[in-house]
Amino acid sequence: MSGKRPAYESPGDLARPPDRPPASMRRPAATAFGAVLVVLRVVAGVVWLIALAVQWRQVLEGDFGVVLEGDVDAQTLSDTGLVVILAGGGVVLAVELVFAVLVYRGSNWARITVMLFATISITWSAVDYFGGDAEITLRTTLVTLALDILVLLALSSRNARAYARRGRG
Amino acid sequence: MGDTSEAPPAGRRPRRFSANALLDGFFFIYAGIAAVWLAWLILEQSFDWGWFGLVFFVAFWLVLAYLVLPRLHRILTTIYVPDYFIGRARTSDGLLGDPVNLAFDGDEVQLHAAMRAAGWTRADDVTVASSWRIVASTVTGRSYDEAPVSPLFLFGRQQDFAYQQEVEGNPAKRHHVRFWRTPDGWLLPGGRRVGWLAAGTFDRAVGFSLFTLQITHKIDADIDVERDHIVATVLGANPQATVDVLDDFSTGYHSRNGGGDSISTDGGLPVLDVSEVPLAAIDEARPGGAS
Repeated sequence: MSGKRPAYESPGDLARPPDRPPASMRRPAATAFGAVLVVLRVVAGVVWLIALAVQWRQVLEGDFGVVLEGDVDAQTLSDTGLVVILAGGGVVLAVELVFAVLVYRGSNWARITVMLFATISITWSAVDYFGGDAEITLRTTLVTLALDILVLLALSSRNARAYARRGRG
Repeated sequence: MGDTSEAPPAGRRPRRFSANALLDGFFFIYAGIAAVWLAWLILEQSFDWGWFGLVFFVAFWLVLAYLVLPRLHRILTTIYVPDYFIGRARTSDGLLGDPVNLAFDGDEVQLHAAMRAAGWTRADDVTVASSWRIVASTVTGRSYDEAPVSPLFLFGRQQDFAYQQEVEGNPAKRHHVRFWRTPDGWLLPGGRRVGWLAAGTFDRAVGFSLFTLQITHKIDADIDVERDHIVATVLGANPQATVDVLDDFSTGYHSRNGGGDSISTDGGLPVLDVSEVPLAAIDEARPGGAS
């Protein structure tokens, strides 16, 4: 040991990487819970896609003002649109499911990516809520927002971080 | 970005700076703020649903007590609670926990032998199975004398192990003491070397934590009674054990524990030397010590 200890704790300590726990660390509840929440988020997405498919016509007419009047071409076009949306949504949800598995197995980059998207989604809702006039209730987007916040809480916890950064090999 | 870039091989010198750690810090704080918002949104719901709103109010309390307040405490205590030895353990939220009021010298096996001979039961670790047993024993009223104790932290580490004694027929009350091995070469304030530090308190009831509103055990304010009980049982059952009290060691460490219970002490720190306890006592203790 050499030199004097500084009289204050440097803020640089906050940026120092934490100690790496041993590879034998058991999976903490926060990691398992976070992965389960991501799966629930996927389930919510599936429900949303099904609801969209069932109410596709009303959505087109109500939200976009598109009226289909027995026009065969327009009908085909709208069906194609629905298929594209369902396929796109399906791919996104499948990727999310893969991330849930990676998070469960303790991948750090998957954990950070999931947290990044949760943060973006939460910020989006917050801007809508505080800046616009969007209402967040159980009937609208409270469930998905709550899932996003819970995912972020679980995966940013110290246990989940330690597990994702544990030594390997 | 990939696993390999995040995980330098073991043995490499630790880096001074990690963007990853900063990012983690950001997410940690952002999640705390978002959780406050979530609690507010849930509370708003409880006004909209009539009597059903009570469910939302309970949900609000759960989110507040188990997610929001712990996270806020964790963020704030990282800033204001010193991370060196101040005679107090810390809770997992970083709050000041039970006071360190005992010290031991001796090997781990001797410590286990001495405690078991003195009629103490080792607490299980917190796992899914042991948590389930707590629920089951609470519902059925069966006793679970190896019930785990909550984690408290000293030297940045959870206790190495804990011992407890049940109080007949009352799951809300129990004696318990947590043990931490001191780091190699570490000295107590004042310069004395001890092998183990311990914090013994008596759970007297179940109640709400003052700081997090969680349901928790409330401890008896006079922590000296429990300390002296532990010393007396260990000395009584182990003739080879000796005690040496450091007077007025922690006179200044009183006030409150992590659950907001007030605590008071005369400040004495008994140092129990169990290094002469014969290991044969382990086997002798088994039939007789399981009281």
